[in-house]
Amino acid sequence: MPDRTGLAGLLLFLLIAVGPIGFSLGYALLYSIGAVGLLSEGVTGGHWAKLFLEREIWQSFAVSVYVALVTVGATVVVALPLAVGFRRQLERGPLSYLMYAPLAIPSTVAAFIVFQTLSGAGFFSRIAYQAGWIQGTEGWPELVLDPWNIGVLVAHIGMAVPFFVLLFAQVYAQAGVPKLEQLARTLGAGRVQVVRRVTVPVVLRRSFENLVLLFVFVLGSYEVPLLLGQQSPQMVSVLTMRKYAMFDLTQKPEAFVIAIGYFLLASLLLVWAFRKPAEG
Amino acid sequence: MPDLHTDPFLRVSNIEKTFGPEAVLHDVSLTLAQQRTLAVLGRSGCGKTTLLKILAGLETADAGRVVVEGEDVTDAPAQSRGIVYLYQEPLLFPHLDVFENVAFGLRLRGVDKQSIKEQVDRMIGDLGLRGQEQKRPNQLSGGQRQRVAFGRAVIVNPRLLLLDEPFASLDVETRALMQQLYTRIAEAYAITALFVTHDLKEALLMGDEIGHMRAGRLHVYPSRQAFINDPNSGVAQEVAFWERIKS
Amino acid sequence: MSTSEHPRRGGRIGAAVVAVACVAPFVYLLVLSFAERWAFPDVMPASWSGRFWVRALTGGALTGSFGISLVVSLLVAVVSTAAGFVTAKYVAYHRHRQRLLLLAYVPFAMSPVILGTCLMYLYLRAGLVGTVAGVVIAQTTFAYGYAIVLFTAFWSPRTKDLEALVYTLGGSPAQAYRRVLLPVAKGALLLCFFQTFLLSWFQYGLTLLIGAGKIQTLPLKVYDYVNEANPYNAAVASCLLVLPPVLMLWANKRALSSGGLQVSSSP
Repeated sequence: MPDRTGLAGLLLFLLIAVGPIGFSLGYALLYSIGAVGLLSEGVTGGHWAKLFLEREIWQSFAVSVYVALVTVGATVVVALPLAVGFRRQLERGPLSYLMYAPLAIPSTVAAFIVFQTLSGAGFFSRIAYQAGWIQGTEGWPELVLDPWNIGVLVAHIGMAVPFFVLLFAQVYAQAGVPKLEQLARTLGAGRVQVVRRVTVPVVLRRSFENLVLLFVFVLGSYEVPLLLGQQSPQMVSVLTMRKYAMFDLTQKPEAFVIAIGYFLLASLLLVWAFRKPAEG
Repeated sequence: MPDLHTDPFLRVSNIEKTFGPEAVLHDVSLTLAQQRTLAVLGRSGCGKTTLLKILAGLETADAGRVVVEGEDVTDAPAQSRGIVYLYQEPLLFPHLDVFENVAFGLRLRGVDKQSIKEQVDRMIGDLGLRGQEQKRPNQLSGGQRQRVAFGRAVIVNPRLLLLDEPFASLDVETRALMQQLYTRIAEAYAITALFVTHDLKEALLMGDEIGHMRAGRLHVYPSRQAFINDPNSGVAQEVAFWERIKS
Repeated sequence: MSTSEHPRRGGRIGAAVVAVACVAPFVYLLVLSFAERWAFPDVMPASWSGRFWVRALTGGALTGSFGISLVVSLLVAVVSTAAGFVTAKYVAYHRHRQRLLLLAYVPFAMSPVILGTCLMYLYLRAGLVGTVAGVVIAQTTFAYGYAIVLFTAFWSPRTKDLEALVYTLGGSPAQAYRRVLLPVAKGALLLCFFQTFLLSWFQYGLTLLIGAGKIQTLPLKVYDYVNEANPYNAAVASCLLVLPPVLMLWANKRALSSGGLQVSSSP
């Protein structure tokens, strides 16, 4: 059956998404090796060399990977017990719809709230002051704009946990985990063993792709590190935007070096996450 | 004037179908007279479903022809063949109730409301589903769903009905009821049908003629007795089994 | 039995704590937006005022941004949902389904800011920078990826069978869509519309780039107020920003809970 709408769909896809992005990445690559560009002086590997020779760029990647990794890890550690422990309350009752509420909060607002609550003069600092634990704003630890990116982590984890609580709860039910747990118990497994060998592996394996997606999202996050992150090293999106928009046009090729580097890293992760499983 | 010996109601000639390196159907031919049911026996994976889908127009054959009532439908689109394909799992429209599911084909043809009500009511009675008209598919049992799917297919008076192991997912008792229902309705609505099954008894119960499909090749027996007498058909083993049990 | 009551009560208290945590950010924003002066070390505002709200709703700047955001996001949602619905069918039933799906994941998963800097060359040449059209097209590019991923789950073998069933019963493609496919897809269409709306509604970095700061959507306003160190205005803008999503969530909890969360359909 000749499917004309299908062909239209494919053309639309090429026109709106694949074409522009593919072309743009090609352009960015050429720019980064000096083949095109306002100030280009011919093909050079100099900008790419900076990736290894200067700290700024690879440190940016390192910190981005760090933030993404810790976010994913912490999200699992927090969301999984919540999803399994509050299974019943998530199916029925106020928590079943209140858990959706945080999904309405975007990065911009989340970053703002984290800043307001965790900074030196922020909400929690004031509580600590009223409780007599600190003497003034200087007594409050550096949680935003700090070297460990704690504020950035809190914002990302805070946004990811509600989503993954709901996801894990859904996976838990759909994969029939309670039945598997019961089965394990009849085979003689203790409570801890059941969790370790049945609950966690089954839920995580089903959620694997979504967790990789979370990693890629946080890796390329912009608004949160823009507001809560340090000046240096910055996460890749922030650094790319800075180098791109700078008055000093010599930085532009470096912006594209980062862009291509990010694209390659993210693509590898996506291909790895979505490779076809061996089983049919 | 059509000669009933050289122009049967359904003539399938030399169908070939290959998926990749595998030849799923090889030189498959059959003829079927009007208002007769051909039961095709075969294990899963022997190509039965592919054959049915080719007849229905949901797949295209690599070679061969399909002629219904003298009309070559080999290249015709599915919607103009008048051939309805019934899936193994009863595939009901989830957003419609029983009445609307059965009425679906009639609504497609723009039949008037009064006529639809009469025909659907009669069919629902024949199917033994009185009182279930407003129910949604997810509120029905497997057997009930299969009945609705059956009624929906028969009510549009198809030239040919293709049943792909329709009772395989039902329990033994429901299956027996469905077999009786089929025979009754097939006669009442003058159905011509191709019935695929892997169950020996079902083939004998449902088929006016019997065929056996193995590894993409179809052999149609000249008569039911020929089928029963064939040592390879499996009938002999069944009879021997029950005789052994008795003694 | 007393031994089973403790875990149950503990469970209920725990659930209450979590529920409060879910609502706390909204409460904080509301309090902050109605505060006149709330400085260290006060845990509650020293004085209250509704003037930031009044100024926001009558001043024009915030309502203007709200309006622009609404128009942009509605356009993005409609176009990407419709286009995604059609394209996903092609992708889902294609031989190279996994590879095509991976292509759709690129705009969906990757940073719009980083890809945006690469896209700027094209948009500059096309004269789209600093225009509403440019912002709509750019955001649609990314929302489109999400829509394809979502609808590829809808176009399953079972859906294909339903469509084929209509044909064997004598229906035309138009009838198949009108009577079966679109009604059955209603939930997915609605979900996609909301999600793509939100993707656009929340977008900051890409809008800043392509809009060249001229297209002042709500997220841009929130950032401006934050940088001006005016937390009260930022809180008002934030409340306006989260209002439509909250309304949508409230109106559609069922659409979301019926499998809408599993964002990834395995290729």
